[in-house]
Amino acid sequence: MSIVGGAVLYEAVRVSKSYGSVEALLDVDFALHAGEVVGLVGDNGAGKSTLVKVLSGVHAPDSGTLVLEGVERRWSSPHEALAAEIETLYQDAGLAPHLSIGANVFLGREILRPGLLGRLGFMAQRRMDKAALHELAQVGIEIQGDRRTVADLSGGQRQAVAIGRAVAWARKVLLLDEPTNHLGARQALEVLEVIRKARDRGLGVVFISHTLPHVLQVCDRIVVLRLGRVVRDAPTSVFDAESLLGTITGLLEAS
Amino acid sequence: MVTSTGAVAPAGRRPGGTARSIARSLLSNQQFMLLVALAALVAYFTARAPVFLSSGELANILTDFCSLILLGIGETYVIASGGIDLSVGSAASLSGVVGAFAMRSLLGSRQSEALVLFVGALVCVGIGLAIGLTNAALINWARLVPFVATLAMLGGAAGLAIVISNGEPIGLDPRAISLTTARLGPFSYPSLVVIAIIAACWLSLHFTRYGRYTFAIGSNEFAARAAGIDVRKHATSVYALSGALAGLTGMFLYMRLGSGAPTAGLNDELQAIAAVVIGGASLYGGVARMSGTVLGTLIITTVTSGLIISNVQANWDQVAVALLIAVAAATQALRPARKG
Repeated sequence: MSIVGGAVLYEAVRVSKSYGSVEALLDVDFALHAGEVVGLVGDNGAGKSTLVKVLSGVHAPDSGTLVLEGVERRWSSPHEALAAEIETLYQDAGLAPHLSIGANVFLGREILRPGLLGRLGFMAQRRMDKAALHELAQVGIEIQGDRRTVADLSGGQRQAVAIGRAVAWARKVLLLDEPTNHLGARQALEVLEVIRKARDRGLGVVFISHTLPHVLQVCDRIVVLRLGRVVRDAPTSVFDAESLLGTITGLLEAS
Repeated sequence: MVTSTGAVAPAGRRPGGTARSIARSLLSNQQFMLLVALAALVAYFTARAPVFLSSGELANILTDFCSLILLGIGETYVIASGGIDLSVGSAASLSGVVGAFAMRSLLGSRQSEALVLFVGALVCVGIGLAIGLTNAALINWARLVPFVATLAMLGGAAGLAIVISNGEPIGLDPRAISLTTARLGPFSYPSLVVIAIIAACWLSLHFTRYGRYTFAIGSNEFAARAAGIDVRKHATSVYALSGALAGLTGMFLYMRLGSGAPTAGLNDELQAIAAVVIGGASLYGGVARMSGTVLGTLIITTVTSGLIISNVQANWDQVAVALLIAVAAATQALRPARKG
């Protein structure tokens, strides 16, 4: 299965998942290596987001297994996958709009104050605000310091915060569901650069997008889903825009 | 560097030195406007009936405040988390009745007064806690929406309070009354407890991780879950807290009336929700302020007492509270949502 060299970092083996009578995923095999960007493409309803949610622990698969670094894992919550260093950007749903940028970046990972106050749960808010901007800058996202809520940001700025949070915390696996949504053309290219840098840090990155030129630009390998099945898994070099679109729609059966 | 992507300009309007911009920032500060409204109400009622500012009347307002604010505090957490708790009024009634039974039997067996009060408070809080946990189970496991689950609990607890008390107030033992009027200087014991709880809950809601998770769940439940927060566990604790505070309110109502009346908390859930909304919370979740709830409760109790003192027919207070909610909601709609 491995196309890029090196050991498999994270793998889904014969994973199936249905919602009621809708079979969202059917016997899907999916492998991700360290230092690799894998594109996950397919039409609406092909099962991309479902696969991400299985990989990130939001949904448990009905059957099949997940293997992280050679060890079979079963996530009972996103918390467990996060603890295993699988970081996820969910499509349009990852931020709490009423909370500040710093609160969002540190959501679920709050820094507490030292001593007794910390043991009572008191947060070191100023430290988190500062560290959040620093973390975002580290992955190449510049945000001027203030304590506005995410709801006050533009769509592109929100997306930048969401990407920055995921990239900043990622240590092994980074799952990105439509990270270039809401972004202008130039901003999207900058995000692709952030993704390349994450790969160069040795992360395994899954990149979902409807924007095929982005997929062709940034991915080392492309997996095409159609109606819940993997119909093609090949290095990016074998695709051009036309053949990729043909494979997605099924008009061009993989040769 | 993704400067263009992430370039978030610094806040445009800085509070300048001019009187006009100071006035504008004060006018857009909800807490300040609530204080202004409260001061105006006090001035108005004092002008109509100078007795309004007498120490006796202020003590009455404080007593009213104490038996409403705990419901409002619990409701603040619940509403911040995107839920609603309609059961707190009847939870207070039922707790007061059960607590009264417990205290009456203890008094009968000649226990010390302090012990009777202590056990009574424990029983009340325990009943409230059980009601809150039942709400949480209905919402988080049976998957009922909070409105329906707590509406069912409202009916259930109110009915149970009447059934087990036969519709009669429980207590009215002279000794029970004597031990409910103990004071520490100008403060009754309930008011001291209330002050401590307000302080603790204000800190907890706005400065601790517990409060942060509460707002996060109300703001975007999926984001909270994806960030690794155990949403069910947290929501359960929020409804349990609301129930426990309602139970303690039952004890306060008992101490105030000298008996556990099955209808003591009737309609109090609506006043509590009104106080939270007047205080600037959003019923969609993610936005609430503890200081707003305190001010909202003070405004409601001031209006209620003021109308009584000005000899307005008693039922007008409901109309007045309705007007307050309408005004609060309208001014909220004119402003962008604020962070909790």
